[in-house]
Amino acid sequence: MAWRIARRELRGGVRGFRVFLLCLITGVAAIAAIGSLSSSFTEGMRADARKILGGDVDIRLSHRPATDDQLAWMQANGTVSATANMRSFARTDSAHALAEVKEVDELYPLFGELRLAPDIGLATAFAKQDGRWGAAVEGALLIKLGLEVGDSFRLGETTVRIAATIENEPDRAAGAFTIGHRVLVGFEALQASGLVQPGSLVRYHYRIGIADSSAVVVWQEAINAEFPKAGWRTRDTRNAAPGIRRAIDRITIFMTVVGLTALLVGGVGVGNAVRAFLRSRMATIATLKCLGASGSLIFTTYLLQLLVLAGIGITAGAVIGGFAPMVAGPIVGDSLPVDIRIGIYPEPLLLSVLFGFLVTLVFSILPLARARAVPAANLFRELVAPLRGAAAWRDIAVFIVLALLLGGIVVVTADDQRLAAYFVVGAVATLAVFRIAAAGITFLARHAPRVRSTHLRFALGNLHRPGSPTGIVATSLGLGLTVLIAVSLIEGNISRQVDQGLPKDAPGTFFIDIQPDQAEAFDRIVTSIPGVRNLRRVPMLRGRIIEIAGTPVGEIEAPPEYAWVLRGDRGLTWARNPPERGSTVVEGKWWPVDYKGPPLLSFDAGAARALGVSVGDAIKLNVLGREFEAKVANLRRIEWNSFAINFVIILAPGVLDGAPQAHIATARADDPAIEVALERAIADQFSNISAIRVREVLGRLQELIAHLATAVNVVGMVVIFAGVLVLAGAIAASHKQRVYDAVVLKVFGATRRDVLAVFCIEFALLGLAISMIATVIGTAASWAIVTKLMRAEWTFLPMSAVSTIALCLFATVFIGALGTWSAMSQKAAPLLRNK
Amino acid sequence: MSGMNSSASINPIITLSDVRLTLNSDAGPVNILRGIDLTIMPGEKVSVVGPSGAGKTSLLMIVAGLEQPTSGVVRVADVTLDGLGEDALALFRRDHVGIVFQDFHLIPTMTAMENVAVPLELAGQQDAIELAESRLEAVGLDHRLTHYPGQLSGGEQQRVALARAFAMNPTLLLADEPTGNLDSDTGERVIELMFQLSAEIGTTLLLITHEGAIAKRCDRTIRIDDGLIASNGINGGLNAC
Repeated sequence: MAWRIARRELRGGVRGFRVFLLCLITGVAAIAAIGSLSSSFTEGMRADARKILGGDVDIRLSHRPATDDQLAWMQANGTVSATANMRSFARTDSAHALAEVKEVDELYPLFGELRLAPDIGLATAFAKQDGRWGAAVEGALLIKLGLEVGDSFRLGETTVRIAATIENEPDRAAGAFTIGHRVLVGFEALQASGLVQPGSLVRYHYRIGIADSSAVVVWQEAINAEFPKAGWRTRDTRNAAPGIRRAIDRITIFMTVVGLTALLVGGVGVGNAVRAFLRSRMATIATLKCLGASGSLIFTTYLLQLLVLAGIGITAGAVIGGFAPMVAGPIVGDSLPVDIRIGIYPEPLLLSVLFGFLVTLVFSILPLARARAVPAANLFRELVAPLRGAAAWRDIAVFIVLALLLGGIVVVTADDQRLAAYFVVGAVATLAVFRIAAAGITFLARHAPRVRSTHLRFALGNLHRPGSPTGIVATSLGLGLTVLIAVSLIEGNISRQVDQGLPKDAPGTFFIDIQPDQAEAFDRIVTSIPGVRNLRRVPMLRGRIIEIAGTPVGEIEAPPEYAWVLRGDRGLTWARNPPERGSTVVEGKWWPVDYKGPPLLSFDAGAARALGVSVGDAIKLNVLGREFEAKVANLRRIEWNSFAINFVIILAPGVLDGAPQAHIATARADDPAIEVALERAIADQFSNISAIRVREVLGRLQELIAHLATAVNVVGMVVIFAGVLVLAGAIAASHKQRVYDAVVLKVFGATRRDVLAVFCIEFALLGLAISMIATVIGTAASWAIVTKLMRAEWTFLPMSAVSTIALCLFATVFIGALGTWSAMSQKAAPLLRNK
Repeated sequence: MSGMNSSASINPIITLSDVRLTLNSDAGPVNILRGIDLTIMPGEKVSVVGPSGAGKTSLLMIVAGLEQPTSGVVRVADVTLDGLGEDALALFRRDHVGIVFQDFHLIPTMTAMENVAVPLELAGQQDAIELAESRLEAVGLDHRLTHYPGQLSGGEQQRVALARAFAMNPTLLLADEPTGNLDSDTGERVIELMFQLSAEIGTTLLLITHEGAIAKRCDRTIRIDDGLIASNGINGGLNAC
């Protein structure tokens, strides 16, 4: 019977459900699109894992190559391709550019395809011609140096010939963030350059193809058991490009939060639409009840209708979202280091459908339950006692269960469950806050002292009259405004980082790979150039933390913002004196200048707090294959934003003094021309020393951050669109009543100005109250996302918030005024004629 | 309520000259009023009768300024309504006209007192609520001041509507089948009140009704048929006073 009645009612079409459908479509499409895009990235990385990694397993050593024994083992247990990576300068007489030099062997690449232009093959490209070894270079390097294929440039102490440009480097994505331009050379060319010196920052990679590629875990266990103190980092195809993986995960988490917010906002719209729908069916429901329909029949009939309509909206949303990889792929394809796999991914689509139905049920169950409980007679007084039947305890229990289920699924299916839990709690709290705020506004309006202004009196009355949309508008406007303020502050903070530039005394140039016997001459050259200041030079090696206070790092649960400290190898240094700038000892004591005792170290105070390190703890390190333990003598607060040379770990003299090491240095020249002259002077004298201009690095980062700001805005628009929909729906829901009121007021002497003034004041009062609350919540949300998710500094930007509020209020009043204008234009006669 | 409007002026309160109203419909133009000439003097009680669809309500809407005639001249309370904008018409109604509808047309989200206070507040009366209370007392609803329309019976709602219509001591009261949704006893009471209040203030009354007894209570009855005045005769019946 319920289905029969539902079907007949549905014959009337979906005209009154536009907002309901659009809200569901937007929310579901957002979730489906985000999930599908993430899956397409992940699938792309999985499918191309061997190509991205360069093998089934990648072993990385810093500063030194594998020993003969280690190499022999690898070769006995797989096919090995070795590469060596380092930074240097590519120089001509008139220009120089930072180069990411990569020496490859004849087996490179083991997987994937290296494409050169012209298509001549590596052996031909690297061959010696006219006394010059060949190289293949990134096209951008030619532009930077003003060269063409066939020309030459200086690399260290040798001259290389540009044999080809690199069209595709299959394993480029596996590397870290690169600053320089790729130069591929052979073994002989790198040897001839003289760039590889003891202590030079060279990363040796050994890519191994093994017969049974599914046995990568066993293979790694075997080699680590054979060489337990090798001090290398191993990686396999399950995590071929962790940096990119982390970036994708972070972006996915952020976008998932946005998608869930869109769904939540849409859910409010669904709830509003359901209430409006039931109100419009009052007469039918009352009639059915008068004719003998039970409450359960009413409930089931209208639930079925809502589910059918929800099914239409959810399906449409899932289909739209499912096409996201196909739409996004061609747009973002070239800017990503990984090919996304375009396809239909069922799991995120099913999840979005599940979310869509749960949201529909959660936001519909109580209005339906109330409609079921209201006696038939009361339904004829719907405006004065709007749906005021009490929902049964059973229905409230069902609502709670559904809400918990929805929240639970959000958390369980999230990549970052802690963040998802915060989101769920935050969303519920926000909704509750705005509901309470609406009740507060109604209370204050009802008890406001009598004011002289007629318009203000009417406006205050409208805020608390029975059936007033204050609650709905407060929630819809509040949610939408909260999201808008959060997005605005996030984007503002990101842009601030872009525009901030460098601190006043930040270094202008970093110099790396300074050999110990070059240090004095280096210092002399730098200090002899007028306009150059703040020279700092320290020794540097790379090593990794093995244990903290007896616990292997693999067993330590590091918080995400400090996991990098334990991951892979880090730059280390040693020093007699505490750093002059960039960090301050805050706990413990620095060692004496002539210290000669057991190994001591100084540790980053922030990392220490996060990892549970205290003064006196022992930390085991592996440096150049040698393991040793050092005690924490002090903790330093490090100002990473100063761009000064900073290290998480500084060792006391005595441990690393005699180890092969290079130095790094920083210097500053305010005049860019002097900066160039300084780099030139060093490059001319020391062909192995590379200079990295901080401004250029910052420029690259700024580009990425600017893209991120754009992405935040674009994605935020989805939520704002949902918010505008919901608000428009809330205003539309009260439109009929507003039209009627406006007509009757006109009959008794209200001008259009009177009606418009009342509306504007009503919404201005409501908007002002709600915007204050939304500012607090939106600010808190932006703080959480910027500091916890993006790991950046956050500042409250009052102008951002104020301008956002002003714009939103203007838009709200404007949209509502449009609706009111149409109400005022309504001809009175048709409405007033006797039925 | 106190005071009576002076009827010393010899100008008609309502003058309609060849008023026509044509509305467009899917089936083509529909001639609602086909040339109405009508004069009503101040203080008169005039009933309008005729079959359904004859144009009675349209005539009343035109007099109230709620409908613009297609052609003709409409002059009410010394105000020519032709060419007046919406706002000017609203102010005209506020100052001169009270209206009572068959369907009451109270604002459902306002209490009885607030409904009656609306025209007073729109006119800027500082004691609007107090005046509204006294209007409701006059119609016997001082015990229903804070009730919403949905909490009132039909008769009570119509009395609230009456109090609202008389709130500004209008020159002209227009009533469109005010007893159409009421039982006979209740309707009788409402009509009694209407005539009583009109007499007290000296308001001119233009009343559409289907009930012969009510029509006969008026000074004059106009019969409208097919958009034209079919008859316009003086009744022999008594007025409310």
